[in-house]
Amino acid sequence: MKRWTGLLILAAAGAVVAVVIEISHPGSPWAPLAVIGGAIAAGELIELRPPRRAALPISFAFMVVLARQTTAKDAVLVLVIAELAPFLVRSEPTSVEGRLALFAERLLEGMAAVVVYHGMMQLLGAPPTRGKVLFALALAAFTPIVVAEIARALREHRFEVSLHGRMADVALVTSAMLMAISAMGVDGQGGMGLWGPAVFTIPLLAAWYSYEHLALIRSTYDQTIRALGAAPELGGMVRAGHAERVADLTVAMAGALGFSRHEVTQLETAALLHHLGQVCLDEPDDGRPPEPVAVAQAGATILRGTQLLAPAGDIIAAEWLPYREHTASRPSVMSGQILKVASAFDELSDGYPERAGLALEAMCSAPGYLYDARVLAALEAVLDRRGLLDDQPF
Amino acid sequence: MSSTKKIWAVVLALCSLAVALVIGIFRATPGAGSPGTWTAVVVLAAAAVVATNFDVESRGAFTISGAAMVLVASLIVFRDYNFALGVVIIALFNALTFAQIKKRQWQKLAFNAAAQTLSLLAGAAVYWQLASSGSLARPGLVLVAAAASGFVYLVTNSALVAIPVALSFDERYRSVLREFVALDVGGLPFALLGVGLGWIYLQLGASVVPLFVVPLLVARRAFASYLELKAGQEQTIETLILALEAKDRYTAGHAQRVAQFCEYVGAEFSFGQRRMERLRYAALMHDIGKLVVPNQLLNKPGRLTESEFERVKRHESVSVELLQRIDFLAPVAGDTTTEAATAAVDGSGLIEPAIIHVADAFDAMTSTRSYRRALSQETAFAELRAGAGTQFNQRCVEALISAIESRDEHYGAGHEVDEHEWAVAPPDAGTGSAGLGHLIPEEQAAGS
Repeated sequence: MKRWTGLLILAAAGAVVAVVIEISHPGSPWAPLAVIGGAIAAGELIELRPPRRAALPISFAFMVVLARQTTAKDAVLVLVIAELAPFLVRSEPTSVEGRLALFAERLLEGMAAVVVYHGMMQLLGAPPTRGKVLFALALAAFTPIVVAEIARALREHRFEVSLHGRMADVALVTSAMLMAISAMGVDGQGGMGLWGPAVFTIPLLAAWYSYEHLALIRSTYDQTIRALGAAPELGGMVRAGHAERVADLTVAMAGALGFSRHEVTQLETAALLHHLGQVCLDEPDDGRPPEPVAVAQAGATILRGTQLLAPAGDIIAAEWLPYREHTASRPSVMSGQILKVASAFDELSDGYPERAGLALEAMCSAPGYLYDARVLAALEAVLDRRGLLDDQPF
Repeated sequence: MSSTKKIWAVVLALCSLAVALVIGIFRATPGAGSPGTWTAVVVLAAAAVVATNFDVESRGAFTISGAAMVLVASLIVFRDYNFALGVVIIALFNALTFAQIKKRQWQKLAFNAAAQTLSLLAGAAVYWQLASSGSLARPGLVLVAAAASGFVYLVTNSALVAIPVALSFDERYRSVLREFVALDVGGLPFALLGVGLGWIYLQLGASVVPLFVVPLLVARRAFASYLELKAGQEQTIETLILALEAKDRYTAGHAQRVAQFCEYVGAEFSFGQRRMERLRYAALMHDIGKLVVPNQLLNKPGRLTESEFERVKRHESVSVELLQRIDFLAPVAGDTTTEAATAAVDGSGLIEPAIIHVADAFDAMTSTRSYRRALSQETAFAELRAGAGTQFNQRCVEALISAIESRDEHYGAGHEVDEHEWAVAPPDAGTGSAGLGHLIPEEQAAGS
């Protein structure tokens, strides 16, 4: 089922239940709870996906609204029903076990938010002033995010907290606080009812929309670069898979040499496109491949014409610069050396893991002006880590 | 009267009207309420300056309009404070864009101040008519009133701003207005959000307003990076295509023109922004497989041998394969061969490959190639019509022809932009419309 269909079904189900309750028991507190339940269910399918951060469903914000709206017991009941609905409707994960695990995780996150809010309010004591409510709401809004992080760490057996994309978390927390407090009001001031959460969802939806577009354009851009990189291979000018293998190796080597994430990305792009120049050169009449320097220069000229790819062009051009003269002044020279070493290694080993040792040996025996010793050391470290330098049987 | 003078006249007229209205309001509701009123003025004015300098607009997508939001918030707050002049002050601050101050564009600043004041007063008239003071107790009514006044504000603002733009670019007012309204009305959700801001200010106080700003900034940043990357990507692709076209000097500008013709057809078919983007992108890259064809073959004057023809022909399948590696383009990366294009005629797939096929053929016929000179536009139209339904998709053919005719544009013999210098002059007569011409047998090639 498409996401939009699922989303509409879930939101409409909440609304229909609310209308039925309102007709049968006018003024019942369960009608707004049904709407919030519908919002939680639909919010499961709207995830903020900032670059380099796991998806963050906006249902977390509605869970806080639910916690503020009613008693802990009723909130949990609504939560179970609300989370069951997306369990049935969502298209991912496809396996039943995956869905069950996600259902249990979400239930836990929602219950944790409810418990934290009510626990905090009890701890802070009466009367519920503006400051107390906001504080409890902030804690409650952070809770599902923390629980989700712990669940992810347990699932992936990796305990590391990255700060990338965390502004999305802050946006979710502040939105949740405003949504929850605007629904009921505080300090004797009237709230906006359900209009409040509806209004304060707008920035989250705007963020969601922007992140979705950003993710699409990023992946399209990345795939375009990879497709262009594969063009010389499809033309039979370069061995198949060369660009991808070199890119993979350069990323690992740059990591070993302590390059920043930004530098690694530029280097990866350069590696993917380092044979692009070949397609622009005339085929030599004697059937030999064109000179590597000419290929690099032609490629660099094309890439330097564009704003985004110019740094990658510089790296490709630097492949054949005398590295001792330029290293201090131009950071791209080191990247160029990495690219040259990785590319030469892949050509020598032909992509066969068992030839790695021999290829490295050959490169280490080359004259000193050809390859930078530090880069060769990084290559050796990477190959060693990958277990490619283990003793081969004679 | 020259257009500069006309613009000045408009600016002066609007400024006088705004000043007159403001004096009128000041006389009708003199003086400020409480000290709290001036705190509200300061907070909202600061918010207005920030918002107006951080707005992000995008054609066809939504608009992050912090300005509309702050303005609606000011309607709510000053309605409750019974201080009409506050709205005018916020409108004036809303017109302060740093870029214009830096460039000393005083005329634009004066115009914007007047336009903002007038459009906000128009919005205020609607809001103050619909919602009474202290009406936050009825949030449903406030939202309806805010939506209506936000709409009036945005449309009035578009209508006013379209005047000098139409004058200075010598365009028709109605078409400029339509474009501006489409752009500005995208900010309506943010006008509704203004109700939230107004509510926070009145019920929770100014200290809680920063909570409200965070999600907006996050959304703005993500949207701005999306637009930035999108622009960068477009530029990258266009530059790469241009550079690669240098391989084949007979087809300079071909990809750009095919993309342009595809956009014409897409517009005739009322494609949405996303679909149009995908079509344009796929059209730009439709010949990307030429990368694998050696330069000598692409530029070979005269006829090709069969084996050479096979090598050149291979670029079509490579193009499709490369496009299929890009998820966004994969659905339209249909083969542009006749069979696939006619498959689209039956409605058995997306129509985009058929559009590209027709646009490609039209540009090939109306450009001079190494194997023949450019045909006239009439001949090309006739060829397209002759092949419609069999070689080309009929709807695409008719859409392209009507789009070109309605624009009164001319391509083909006598209208070519690029002048070529030929080593071997191409023959006048065509040897196939979009094809590569008749081939010469291998033996003959070897002998020649």
